[in-house]
Amino acid sequence: MLAGQILNGLVSGAMYALVAIGFTLVVGVLDKLNFTHPEVFMLGGFIGLVSLTYLPLPWAFVLALVVGGLLGLFTELVAFRRFQSSDARITAALSSLALGLVFTDLVHKVWGTEQVPLPPQRGWLAGTFEIAGVQFLNLQLMVLGVTLVLMAGLHYLISRTRIGRQIRALAEAPVSASLLGINVLRVKQSVFFISSALAAVAGLLLALRSDAANSEIGLTFALKAMAIMAIGGMGDLRGAVLAGFLIGVVEALMFYFGWGRLGEMTVWLAMIVILLVRPAGLFSGGLHSREQRV
Amino acid sequence: MTTSQPILTITGLRKVFGGVTALDGIDLEVREGEILGLIGPNGAGKTALLNTITGFYRATTGSIRFMGQEISNMPLHGIGRLGIGRTFQNIRLFKRMTVLENVMAANKRYVRSSFSAFLGVIGGRTALDEARHWIELMQLGDKADMLASALSYGDARRLEIARALAGNPSLLLLDEPAAGMNETETDQLVADIHKVQTSVKAIVLIEHDMSLIRSLSDRIVAMDYGKKLAEGAPDTVLEHPDVRRAYLGSDT
Amino acid sequence: MISDHLIITGINILMAWSVYLVLLTGSLSFAQGAFMAVGCYAAGYLTTVLGMPLLPATLIGAIVSAVFAVVLGYPALRLKGIYLILATLGITFCVRVLLENLEFLGGIGGFGGMLGADLPAVAIAVGCVAVLLVLITISPLQRIFDAVREDERVAASLGINVTGIRILGFALGAAVAAVAGSLYGHYMSFVRPESFDVLLSIYVVLYVVLGGVNNMLGPVVGAVVMTLLPEYIRELADWRPTVFGLAVLIMLLFKPNGLLSFRAVTERYRRPTKSATSGSLEQQSTPGTAP
Repeated sequence: MLAGQILNGLVSGAMYALVAIGFTLVVGVLDKLNFTHPEVFMLGGFIGLVSLTYLPLPWAFVLALVVGGLLGLFTELVAFRRFQSSDARITAALSSLALGLVFTDLVHKVWGTEQVPLPPQRGWLAGTFEIAGVQFLNLQLMVLGVTLVLMAGLHYLISRTRIGRQIRALAEAPVSASLLGINVLRVKQSVFFISSALAAVAGLLLALRSDAANSEIGLTFALKAMAIMAIGGMGDLRGAVLAGFLIGVVEALMFYFGWGRLGEMTVWLAMIVILLVRPAGLFSGGLHSREQRV
Repeated sequence: MTTSQPILTITGLRKVFGGVTALDGIDLEVREGEILGLIGPNGAGKTALLNTITGFYRATTGSIRFMGQEISNMPLHGIGRLGIGRTFQNIRLFKRMTVLENVMAANKRYVRSSFSAFLGVIGGRTALDEARHWIELMQLGDKADMLASALSYGDARRLEIARALAGNPSLLLLDEPAAGMNETETDQLVADIHKVQTSVKAIVLIEHDMSLIRSLSDRIVAMDYGKKLAEGAPDTVLEHPDVRRAYLGSDT
Repeated sequence: MISDHLIITGINILMAWSVYLVLLTGSLSFAQGAFMAVGCYAAGYLTTVLGMPLLPATLIGAIVSAVFAVVLGYPALRLKGIYLILATLGITFCVRVLLENLEFLGGIGGFGGMLGADLPAVAIAVGCVAVLLVLITISPLQRIFDAVREDERVAASLGINVTGIRILGFALGAAVAAVAGSLYGHYMSFVRPESFDVLLSIYVVLYVVLGGVNNMLGPVVGAVVMTLLPEYIRELADWRPTVFGLAVLIMLLFKPNGLLSFRAVTERYRRPTKSATSGSLEQQSTPGTAP
């Protein structure tokens, strides 16, 4: 029914939002596209797979955050460190693309190309609850809860902490920021750590929802978050979150009304239209305000 | 020799960027057959004027009529095709291309039609010959295959002029072509510009070198703060008190 | 079978060249997979449903693809750099979804019955495109392309319709990709929309990155190395994506100027007429040269 579908949409939207936040952070601060990001998302599921075999669920989240973050640092070092100038945007995008290929292949080598089921989750997670006669999954509640907590944490980080201020400074005025004594490299590394940690957790959440870790979801699920990022406004954190939830719900509704297969196309078409007509995004007010037209 | 037909008429031209007014109501005419000198201190708006005429900037208000057509809202390539050629204050050559290739890329026929540019592979001779004509006019014949980035400052400026000429422009706008040149080169430039005059209908010349401007220009316009200070014969303008105050201090 | 390897290699060479053609005008396109699909399905429809022979069907497929590129390119090519990358990715996704939903073309299940592409056909196609590329390279059009890549605004001020040029490059790339697609379809005899997905578009771009963009041979090298070599080196085949990814990473790390830094055109082909004219012109024109 409709309510259930909308909740589903919000759940997907939450995961889109987490990934889109990561994309948009890197765009806002480094002005570059990070194509390794979708594969870090994918790896989140496998981090979950490994940790859930030996540890309880909360630890899986911790590991996803930490290992995801470390993967982000690795990505920055390998694919972005050498290409810091603004002329090297395409080169950086391409090298992160190449790195993503390597990650995916390594996963294929260890776990094969088929989905790998997660260890079955017992207890509260497998349960359901009911509101006004409608059945909901506890899992969905958890996804939304985790997402809200992470976003609150991110908001606090960006607006109240020193590193958050430095991130904002670097996003708005890269040249001045370095002159003001901000350790630019440190800030960039933090940005990669944060965005990848969030992506990995999102990947874990998706794996929990599907009950399996899937090596193909980088390109099928997470790449869409790039379009979502553009819809929300490149570099716009709030926009990424809003657009994520919006698209999640829109997709769910389209599915409900039988237009499911066109869902994917809608997102990308919407992105193209936004890029051409309203490049600042639907909810303008971004970190990133550069002119991209001729 | 000099008809006083205006080929470029600028009326009430203003260009405002956020808080900065680069052009503050310019009225100007460029007449057929003349060399118009444009002088003024740094920041006076001379390059801004060139940029607005050629379409690099869009005018905020005002009109620019070239050969009877309103061009203030035209796209860059439209203005180029209409017959306005220019050089740049900070030299914008195609650095990774050779001298010959820089000029070939500006060939009047080929910029208008990719198809004819492609077919040019058959009549390759014509393309090369035409390019060589302009290169030799600017004394760069022996450097035809040198990379533009390897040219000396003076040669680079001359290449920019050759490239601008390759489009057979009616109006040629030169932005400080003598900057960085020594005396010999400057004298050669004067001779080159006189040679060039036979190929175009009019030239506008921005320069800081006073003797160069004085010897080349038929008329001079002086600017400051985006406005026109004075206009007229070179001696008249250069002696004008406002101009001297704004620009020359107490020097001659 | 060696002819199978060569056929696939030829098709990949065409795809790499399709990326290269768009790159000549300064745009990096991740949409070549989409144009390949358009060419494949268009030509496939013509041969299976309308009974047309392969050659005219392929040519029409190329035209359809080029028109498609012009229509899409007009809005899309206003974007540049990473924004264009996103838009072209979007095109690839949209085309695939579109094909999955067109039942008369087989939908998600696929489209089959295409026959007739063999090694001579592929070789002829590769040869023709090669000739086209050589002609472009030695013609004045190449200078126009170079100017657009070097400095768009200055090129425009010279009278070059920059958007038009970029659309031209996009359309040429689409046409070549369509030819590759038609050959692919008529060789495999059965295709599905997912054969032309984003991963394909990414791979063909990376062929070009690997082989280099200095001239038209670079894409060939990239395509050949990553297609043919794995057939003969077992370890390479097993670890193909990893080796590929690492090779591209290393390539990029050693060329920090990036993808669009084409080397000086002087290193390209010399025009055939140049040596004929240079002698005589030199004598007449260079002042002060002793006769």
